[in-house]
Amino acid sequence: MSYVNILNKLENIKSYIESGILELYVLGDLAADERSEVEAMSKLHPEVKAELGQIESVMQSLADSLQVLPSEKVRTGFLNSISFSDEEEIIAPVAKQQEAKVVALTKNYTNFYKYAFAASVALLLVSLVAIISLNNSLKNSKQQIAALQSSNQSFANKVNYLDQQVTKTTSALDIYSNPDVKMVKLEGTANAKGAKIMVAFNPKTNKVGLDMKSMDMPKNDADHQYQLWALVDGKPVDLGVFDIEGNQIGFKNMKEISKAQTFAVTLEPRGGSINPTMDKLMVMGNI
Amino acid sequence: MLKNTYLIFKNSDYLRPIVINTKRKFLEEPDLILALQQRKKLGADALYEMYSGSLLGIVQRVIADKEIAEDVLQEGLVKIWNSIQQYDPTKGRLFTWMVNVMRNLAIDKVRSKDYRNHSKNQDLENHVNSIDERRNSEYKPEHLGVKDLLQKLRPEQKVIVDMIYFQGFTHVEVSDELAIPLGTVKTRLRMGIIELRKYFK
Repeated sequence: MSYVNILNKLENIKSYIESGILELYVLGDLAADERSEVEAMSKLHPEVKAELGQIESVMQSLADSLQVLPSEKVRTGFLNSISFSDEEEIIAPVAKQQEAKVVALTKNYTNFYKYAFAASVALLLVSLVAIISLNNSLKNSKQQIAALQSSNQSFANKVNYLDQQVTKTTSALDIYSNPDVKMVKLEGTANAKGAKIMVAFNPKTNKVGLDMKSMDMPKNDADHQYQLWALVDGKPVDLGVFDIEGNQIGFKNMKEISKAQTFAVTLEPRGGSINPTMDKLMVMGNI
Repeated sequence: MLKNTYLIFKNSDYLRPIVINTKRKFLEEPDLILALQQRKKLGADALYEMYSGSLLGIVQRVIADKEIAEDVLQEGLVKIWNSIQQYDPTKGRLFTWMVNVMRNLAIDKVRSKDYRNHSKNQDLENHVNSIDERRNSEYKPEHLGVKDLLQKLRPEQKVIVDMIYFQGFTHVEVSDELAIPLGTVKTRLRMGIIELRKYFK
């Protein structure tokens, strides 16, 4: 059975070869599908491959026998219109120079970008350092400004304070030097021995003031205040309350009154009383 | 002074550099293929030395004017150089592939308007003006070179080999042209080629 198969196969190959399809293949006269078929057969069957080789060989020999020598310009024309991988061997010096120039140019561009990039990075670093140092000095400046502002404030406060003192002292001097003003000295009672208060009374303007600087009174507590009274024809008249805080200067204006015979100060609950508490009489003096 | 060129065998499992004496300008086919694939100057030189004559012979079978035939040869050589990557060595000889490239170029040239005008101006007597003209005219065996081996063939074989191999007719066209069955065309072609083998052994 297999013997018959082999015979059949050989017979088939033989008739395939003898069909003339291999000649047409070599002569380039087959459609694509037939070409593929021949190539497949050639791979499968050594006989087909050998036959193809023989046909090719014969056709090449035939062509060789019919050759015509081309003129030399074909050679130069051919060689001049193609390029080689080992070009440096045949390239003209001018062309070589041009090529070298192009390479150099490309390199320069590359270098330019390289340097530009490096310069940018350097600039960035310098900028960062500058920003940090500027930021630090800005902080320092702000701190200095704050310190200067606070010291300026304290100077201004001091000036203000001194200005107030000067104003108070000046108005006190005015009062003392005013001939219309009567200075009444209130002397300490048994409740406050050695205490004293100078009261300035101007009958023309009805103004009453206490000389805070020359005042010598014990300090009152938070629950009590001193109250100034005028005795007018035997009746006490309230002239306002005041505190003793120490280091006070100038005159403190009290309520006005047109006439009085005596001034007196009592210690009263904070805010003052309607009628003086006589057993808390501290100082008293007649005009 | 000898100049050496190195070729690297890509297809082998290992790299084998070979040194070739370039003064000989002749390479075995695998080396030539390699040199062409690697675009070596040596490859171009060897290609020209080894095959320009045979290829011009093919072109002149189609184009009688040597000037034009040489232009086509040069164009064909450049085309071979540039499209060598399309050549598959497993499918046949380099020469077979090159002949196909050349023959197709020559036929294209003959069919071009350019060529027909040129031919008319040059030689109105020229009987191979174009394929179309030849199709309508009777085949003239005297176009063949007298000294070539084709003369050793029987006339009915010679005509078919020449028309298909050298002039690019298809076997179907030959069958039409000569009014003989397709099978007969194939058989005569095969017999003619077998006959030629005797002379090249």
